[in-house]
Amino acid sequence: MEDNKRVYTILLFLTALWCSGILLAPSIHASHPAAASIVYSAYSPICHQVDGRCFHLFEAKWGVCIRCSAIYFGFFLSLLLYPLFRRLSSPSYPGRWWIALAVAPMVIDVVLNFTGIHPSTPLTRSITGVMFGLVLPLYIIPTLLEGVAQLRSQFSARGGFFYARKAQ
Amino acid sequence: MLEKPNKLRIALICGAAIGAVSAVPGISLINCCCCAGVWLGGVLAMYLYKQQFTEGMPPLESSDALMLGLMSGIIGAFTATVLGVLILVIIGPVEQELVKSIVGRLLDRLVEQGGLQTDMADSMKEQVEQSIRDSGKLSNIFGSLFMALILYPIFSILGALLGFAIFRPKNPPPTTMVR
Repeated sequence: MEDNKRVYTILLFLTALWCSGILLAPSIHASHPAAASIVYSAYSPICHQVDGRCFHLFEAKWGVCIRCSAIYFGFFLSLLLYPLFRRLSSPSYPGRWWIALAVAPMVIDVVLNFTGIHPSTPLTRSITGVMFGLVLPLYIIPTLLEGVAQLRSQFSARGGFFYARKAQ
Repeated sequence: MLEKPNKLRIALICGAAIGAVSAVPGISLINCCCCAGVWLGGVLAMYLYKQQFTEGMPPLESSDALMLGLMSGIIGAFTATVLGVLILVIIGPVEQELVKSIVGRLLDRLVEQGGLQTDMADSMKEQVEQSIRDSGKLSNIFGSLFMALILYPIFSILGALLGFAIFRPKNPPPTTMVR
Protein backbone atom coordinates (compact mmCIF):
# COMPACT_ATOMS: atom_id res chain seq x y z
CA MET A 1 0.00 0.00 0.00
CA GLU A 2 1.32 3.46 -0.80
CA ASP A 3 2.44 5.46 2.20
CA ASN A 4 -0.04 8.25 1.64
CA LYS A 5 -2.90 5.78 1.45
CA ARG A 6 -1.68 4.16 4.65
CA VAL A 7 -1.58 7.47 6.52
CA TYR A 8 -4.99 8.41 5.10
CA THR A 9 -6.47 5.05 6.14
CA ILE A 10 -5.13 5.39 9.69
CA LEU A 11 -6.59 8.90 9.95
CA LEU A 12 -9.92 7.67 8.59
CA PHE A 13 -9.95 4.76 11.04
CA LEU A 14 -9.15 6.98 14.03
CA THR A 15 -11.81 9.51 13.03
CA ALA A 16 -14.36 6.70 12.59
CA LEU A 17 -13.41 5.39 16.04
CA TRP A 18 -13.82 8.88 17.53
CA CYS A 19 -17.25 9.35 15.92
CA SER A 20 -18.35 5.83 16.95
CA GLY A 21 -17.53 6.66 20.57
CA ILE A 22 -19.91 9.62 20.39
CA LEU A 23 -22.75 7.25 19.43
CA LEU A 24 -21.53 4.38 21.60
CA ALA A 25 -22.15 6.26 24.85
CA PRO A 26 -25.94 6.61 24.41
CA SER A 27 -26.21 3.17 22.80
CA ILE A 28 -24.88 1.38 25.89
CA HIS A 29 -26.23 3.84 28.44
CA ALA A 30 -29.19 1.65 29.37
CA SER A 31 -27.47 -1.74 29.27
CA HIS A 32 -23.99 -0.87 30.57
CA PRO A 33 -24.24 2.42 32.51
CA ALA A 34 -20.74 2.11 34.03
CA ALA A 35 -19.09 1.66 30.61
CA ALA A 36 -21.19 4.49 29.20
CA SER A 37 -20.05 6.79 31.99
CA ILE A 38 -16.40 6.02 31.11
CA VAL A 39 -17.09 6.93 27.47
CA TYR A 40 -18.88 10.13 28.55
CA SER A 41 -15.96 11.11 30.79
CA ALA A 42 -13.50 10.49 27.95
CA TYR A 43 -15.28 13.20 25.94
CA SER A 44 -15.94 15.49 28.91
CA PRO A 45 -12.64 17.49 28.72
CA ILE A 46 -13.54 18.67 25.23
CA CYS A 47 -17.28 19.31 25.50
CA HIS A 48 -19.75 20.68 28.06
CA GLN A 49 -22.16 17.77 27.29
CA VAL A 50 -25.15 19.79 28.59
CA ASP A 51 -28.20 17.59 28.06
CA GLY A 52 -30.35 20.27 26.45
CA ARG A 53 -27.63 20.98 23.87
CA CYS A 54 -27.08 17.37 22.77
CA PHE A 55 -28.73 15.07 20.27
CA HIS A 56 -30.32 12.02 21.87
CA LEU A 57 -30.25 8.35 20.97
CA PHE A 58 -32.28 5.75 22.91
CA GLU A 59 -33.30 8.60 25.26
CA ALA A 60 -29.68 9.27 26.25
CA LYS A 61 -27.53 12.20 25.11
CA TRP A 62 -24.72 11.73 22.58
CA GLY A 63 -21.13 11.85 23.80
CA VAL A 64 -20.73 15.50 22.76
CA CYS A 65 -23.02 18.48 22.09
CA ILE A 66 -24.76 19.20 18.79
CA ARG A 67 -22.13 21.68 17.57
CA CYS A 68 -19.21 19.35 18.34
CA SER A 69 -21.06 16.37 16.81
CA ALA A 70 -21.69 18.38 13.65
CA ILE A 71 -18.00 19.31 13.39
CA TYR A 72 -16.75 15.74 13.95
CA PHE A 73 -19.25 14.06 11.64
CA GLY A 74 -18.70 16.76 9.00
CA PHE A 75 -14.97 16.13 9.31
CA PHE A 76 -15.49 12.38 8.96
CA LEU A 77 -17.75 12.77 5.92
CA SER A 78 -15.30 15.10 4.21
CA LEU A 79 -12.43 12.74 5.03
CA LEU A 80 -14.37 9.82 3.58
CA LEU A 81 -15.13 11.66 0.33
CA TYR A 82 -11.74 13.34 0.01
CA PRO A 83 -10.11 10.76 -2.36
CA LEU A 84 -13.03 11.13 -4.77
CA PHE A 85 -12.24 14.81 -5.31
CA ARG A 86 -8.52 15.20 -4.65
CA ARG A 87 -5.51 13.00 -5.22
CA LEU A 88 -3.73 11.87 -2.07
CA SER A 89 -0.38 12.01 -3.82
CA SER A 90 -0.52 15.65 -4.86
CA PRO A 91 -0.94 18.13 -2.04
CA SER A 92 -3.04 21.10 -3.03
CA TYR A 93 -4.71 23.48 -0.64
CA PRO A 94 -7.82 25.56 -1.18
CA GLY A 95 -7.38 29.32 -0.76
CA ARG A 96 -6.94 30.66 2.76
CA TRP A 97 -10.23 32.53 2.65
CA TRP A 98 -12.22 29.30 2.51
CA ILE A 99 -11.34 28.54 6.11
CA ALA A 100 -12.45 32.03 7.16
CA LEU A 101 -15.71 31.55 5.24
CA ALA A 102 -16.24 28.18 6.93
CA VAL A 103 -15.58 29.50 10.46
CA ALA A 104 -17.48 32.79 10.11
CA PRO A 105 -21.07 31.38 10.30
CA MET A 106 -20.20 29.39 13.44
CA VAL A 107 -18.59 32.40 15.12
CA ILE A 108 -21.56 34.60 14.16
CA ASP A 109 -23.97 31.98 15.56
CA VAL A 110 -22.04 31.84 18.87
CA VAL A 111 -21.75 35.64 19.14
CA LEU A 112 -25.45 36.22 18.35
CA ASN A 113 -26.38 33.64 20.96
CA PHE A 114 -24.09 35.08 23.66
CA THR A 115 -25.24 38.64 23.06
CA GLY A 116 -28.87 37.53 23.14
CA ILE A 117 -29.59 39.02 19.70
CA HIS A 118 -30.65 35.67 18.26
CA PRO A 119 -30.64 32.35 20.13
CA SER A 120 -28.82 29.53 18.36
CA THR A 121 -31.01 26.54 17.55
CA PRO A 122 -30.09 22.89 16.97
CA LEU A 123 -30.42 23.58 13.24
CA THR A 124 -28.04 26.57 13.21
CA ARG A 125 -25.57 24.70 15.43
CA SER A 126 -25.69 21.67 13.12
CA ILE A 127 -25.37 23.59 9.85
CA THR A 128 -22.55 25.89 10.99
CA GLY A 129 -20.70 22.99 12.65
CA VAL A 130 -20.95 20.76 9.58
CA MET A 131 -19.70 23.61 7.36
CA PHE A 132 -16.59 23.98 9.50
CA GLY A 133 -16.06 20.21 9.76
CA LEU A 134 -16.40 19.70 5.99
CA VAL A 135 -13.72 22.27 5.15
CA LEU A 136 -11.10 21.22 7.73
CA PRO A 137 -9.82 18.03 5.98
CA LEU A 138 -9.13 20.03 2.82
CA TYR A 139 -6.35 21.77 4.77
CA ILE A 140 -5.36 19.06 7.21
CA ILE A 141 -4.99 16.03 4.90
CA PRO A 142 -2.46 17.53 2.45
CA THR A 143 -0.43 19.03 5.30
CA LEU A 144 -0.47 15.79 7.27
CA LEU A 145 0.51 13.60 4.30
CA GLU A 146 3.25 16.01 3.31
CA GLY A 147 4.49 16.27 6.91
CA VAL A 148 4.63 12.51 7.45
CA ALA A 149 6.50 12.06 4.14
CA GLN A 150 9.01 14.72 5.19
CA LEU A 151 9.50 13.14 8.61
CA ARG A 152 10.07 9.76 6.95
CA SER A 153 12.71 11.15 4.64
CA GLN A 154 14.36 12.98 7.57
CA PHE A 155 14.45 9.73 9.55
CA SER A 156 15.84 7.88 6.52
CA ALA A 157 18.54 10.50 6.06
CA ARG A 158 19.56 10.06 9.69
CA GLY A 159 19.43 6.27 9.45
CA GLY A 160 16.43 6.20 11.77
CA PHE A 161 13.66 3.70 12.43
CA PHE A 162 11.99 3.78 9.01
CA TYR A 163 15.32 3.46 7.23
CA ALA A 164 16.23 0.47 9.37
CA ARG A 165 12.91 -1.21 8.56
CA LYS A 166 13.35 -0.56 4.84
CA ALA A 167 16.87 -1.94 4.89
CA GLN A 168 15.58 -5.20 6.35
CA MET B 1 22.90 27.63 5.13
CA LEU B 2 21.51 28.64 8.52
CA GLU B 3 19.63 26.13 10.66
CA LYS B 4 15.89 26.29 11.31
CA PRO B 5 14.76 28.14 14.48
CA ASN B 6 14.57 26.17 17.71
CA LYS B 7 11.16 24.51 18.11
CA LEU B 8 11.46 23.85 21.84
CA ARG B 9 11.30 27.53 22.82
CA ILE B 10 8.11 28.10 20.81
CA ALA B 11 6.64 24.81 22.08
CA LEU B 12 7.34 25.88 25.67
CA ILE B 13 5.65 29.25 25.15
CA CYS B 14 2.61 27.77 23.41
CA GLY B 15 2.44 24.77 25.75
CA ALA B 16 2.36 27.20 28.67
CA ALA B 17 -0.38 29.19 26.90
CA ILE B 18 -2.40 26.00 26.25
CA GLY B 19 -1.94 24.95 29.89
CA ALA B 20 -2.97 28.37 31.21
CA VAL B 21 -6.05 28.56 28.97
CA SER B 22 -7.05 25.02 29.97
CA ALA B 23 -6.50 25.45 33.71
CA VAL B 24 -7.67 28.97 34.57
CA PRO B 25 -11.29 28.81 35.76
CA GLY B 26 -13.71 30.49 33.39
CA ILE B 27 -11.25 30.81 30.51
CA SER B 28 -10.95 27.03 30.35
CA LEU B 29 -14.59 26.84 29.22
CA ILE B 30 -13.22 27.68 25.75
CA ASN B 31 -12.13 24.03 25.58
CA CYS B 32 -15.79 23.07 25.80
CA CYS B 33 -15.97 23.89 22.10
CA CYS B 34 -13.99 21.00 20.59
CA CYS B 35 -10.83 21.80 22.57
CA ALA B 36 -10.69 25.24 20.88
CA GLY B 37 -8.05 26.50 23.34
CA VAL B 38 -5.71 23.67 22.38
CA TRP B 39 -6.43 24.05 18.65
CA LEU B 40 -5.70 27.76 18.84
CA GLY B 41 -2.50 26.99 20.77
CA GLY B 42 -1.34 24.87 17.82
CA VAL B 43 -2.21 27.63 15.36
CA LEU B 44 -0.38 30.18 17.54
CA ALA B 45 2.70 27.92 17.71
CA MET B 46 2.84 27.77 13.93
CA TYR B 47 2.41 31.55 13.64
CA LEU B 48 5.17 32.28 16.18
CA TYR B 49 7.48 29.71 14.59
CA LYS B 50 7.01 31.24 11.16
CA GLN B 51 7.98 34.65 12.60
CA GLN B 52 11.37 33.22 13.64
CA PHE B 53 12.39 32.45 10.07
CA THR B 54 14.91 34.76 8.40
CA GLU B 55 16.54 34.79 4.97
CA GLY B 56 19.02 32.00 4.41
CA MET B 57 17.13 29.51 6.55
CA PRO B 58 15.57 26.34 5.12
CA PRO B 59 11.87 26.86 4.34
CA LEU B 60 9.04 26.16 6.75
CA GLU B 61 7.72 22.60 6.19
CA SER B 62 4.67 20.55 7.14
CA SER B 63 6.87 18.29 9.28
CA ASP B 64 7.67 21.35 11.42
CA ALA B 65 3.94 21.74 12.07
CA LEU B 66 3.62 18.09 13.09
CA MET B 67 6.55 18.24 15.53
CA LEU B 68 5.61 21.65 16.91
CA GLY B 69 1.99 20.58 17.46
CA LEU B 70 3.08 17.40 19.20
CA MET B 71 5.55 19.18 21.48
CA SER B 72 3.14 22.01 22.35
CA GLY B 73 0.35 19.51 23.12
CA ILE B 74 2.50 17.40 25.46
CA ILE B 75 3.87 20.46 27.28
CA GLY B 76 0.33 21.91 27.41
CA ALA B 77 -1.04 18.71 29.01
CA PHE B 78 1.58 18.77 31.78
CA THR B 79 1.21 22.53 32.32
CA ALA B 80 -2.59 22.32 32.50
CA THR B 81 -2.42 19.52 35.07
CA VAL B 82 0.17 21.26 37.26
CA LEU B 83 -1.65 24.61 37.07
CA GLY B 84 -4.98 22.88 37.73
CA VAL B 85 -3.61 21.25 40.89
CA LEU B 86 -2.06 24.55 42.05
CA ILE B 87 -5.35 26.40 41.52
CA LEU B 88 -7.22 23.63 43.34
CA VAL B 89 -4.83 23.80 46.29
CA ILE B 90 -4.72 27.60 46.48
CA ILE B 91 -8.31 28.67 45.78
CA GLY B 92 -10.30 25.42 45.74
CA PRO B 93 -12.60 23.95 43.07
CA VAL B 94 -13.68 27.32 41.65
CA GLU B 95 -14.49 26.06 38.19
CA GLN B 96 -16.49 23.09 39.43
CA GLU B 97 -18.50 25.46 41.64
CA LEU B 98 -19.07 27.71 38.61
CA VAL B 99 -20.25 24.76 36.53
CA LYS B 100 -22.38 23.59 39.46
CA SER B 101 -24.20 26.91 39.65
CA ILE B 102 -24.75 27.05 35.87
CA VAL B 103 -25.96 23.43 35.70
CA GLY B 104 -28.12 23.98 38.79
CA ARG B 105 -29.87 26.97 37.24
CA LEU B 106 -30.30 25.14 33.93
CA LEU B 107 -31.80 22.06 35.61
CA ASP B 108 -34.15 24.20 37.74
CA ARG B 109 -35.38 25.93 34.59
CA LEU B 110 -35.93 22.58 32.85
CA VAL B 111 -37.89 21.30 35.87
CA GLU B 112 -40.02 24.48 35.91
CA GLN B 113 -40.76 24.09 32.19
CA GLY B 114 -41.69 20.44 32.74
CA GLY B 115 -38.89 19.16 30.50
CA LEU B 116 -37.25 17.20 33.32
CA GLN B 117 -38.48 15.28 36.32
CA THR B 118 -37.44 16.51 39.78
CA ASP B 119 -35.80 13.24 40.82
CA MET B 120 -33.73 13.14 37.63
CA ALA B 121 -32.60 16.75 38.18
CA ASP B 122 -31.64 15.91 41.78
CA SER B 123 -29.64 12.90 40.62
CA MET B 124 -27.77 15.05 38.06
CA LYS B 125 -27.03 17.66 40.74
CA GLU B 126 -25.70 14.88 42.97
CA GLN B 127 -23.38 13.77 40.13
CA VAL B 128 -21.96 17.31 39.90
CA GLU B 129 -21.53 17.41 43.71
CA GLN B 130 -19.72 14.07 43.53
CA SER B 131 -17.36 15.37 40.84
CA ILE B 132 -16.52 18.37 43.07
CA ARG B 133 -15.79 16.05 45.99
CA ASP B 134 -13.60 13.83 43.73
CA SER B 135 -11.72 16.70 42.07
CA GLY B 136 -8.82 16.66 44.55
CA LYS B 137 -8.29 12.89 44.47
CA LEU B 138 -4.91 11.71 43.21
CA SER B 139 -6.52 9.15 40.89
CA ASN B 140 -8.59 11.94 39.34
CA ILE B 141 -5.52 14.12 38.81
CA PHE B 142 -3.62 11.30 37.10
CA GLY B 143 -6.74 10.36 35.14
CA SER B 144 -7.09 13.88 33.78
CA LEU B 145 -3.34 14.00 33.00
CA PHE B 146 -3.70 10.72 31.08
CA MET B 147 -6.64 12.04 29.07
CA ALA B 148 -4.87 15.35 28.46
CA LEU B 149 -1.76 13.53 27.22
CA ILE B 150 -3.92 11.80 24.59
CA LEU B 151 -6.25 14.63 23.61
CA TYR B 152 -4.02 17.73 23.75
CA PRO B 153 -1.33 16.51 21.31
CA ILE B 154 -4.03 15.38 18.83
CA PHE B 155 -5.85 18.71 18.85
CA SER B 156 -2.63 20.70 19.01
CA ILE B 157 -1.25 18.85 15.95
CA LEU B 158 -4.52 19.53 14.10
CA GLY B 159 -4.23 23.21 15.04
CA ALA B 160 -0.60 23.38 13.92
CA LEU B 161 -1.42 21.65 10.61
CA LEU B 162 -4.23 24.13 10.06
CA GLY B 163 -1.84 26.93 11.02
CA PHE B 164 0.67 25.68 8.48
CA ALA B 165 -1.99 25.63 5.77
CA ILE B 166 -2.88 29.22 6.66
CA PHE B 167 0.62 30.66 7.21
CA ARG B 168 2.56 28.52 4.71
CA PRO B 169 4.96 30.25 2.31
CA LYS B 170 3.28 31.37 -0.89
CA ASN B 171 5.82 29.65 -3.14
CA PRO B 172 6.63 26.40 -1.32
CA PRO B 173 9.64 24.36 -2.37
CA PRO B 174 9.16 21.06 -4.20
CA THR B 175 7.57 18.57 -1.80
CA THR B 176 9.02 15.27 -0.67
CA MET B 177 5.76 13.36 -1.02
CA VAL B 178 6.17 9.60 -1.27
CA ARG B 179 4.13 8.16 -4.11
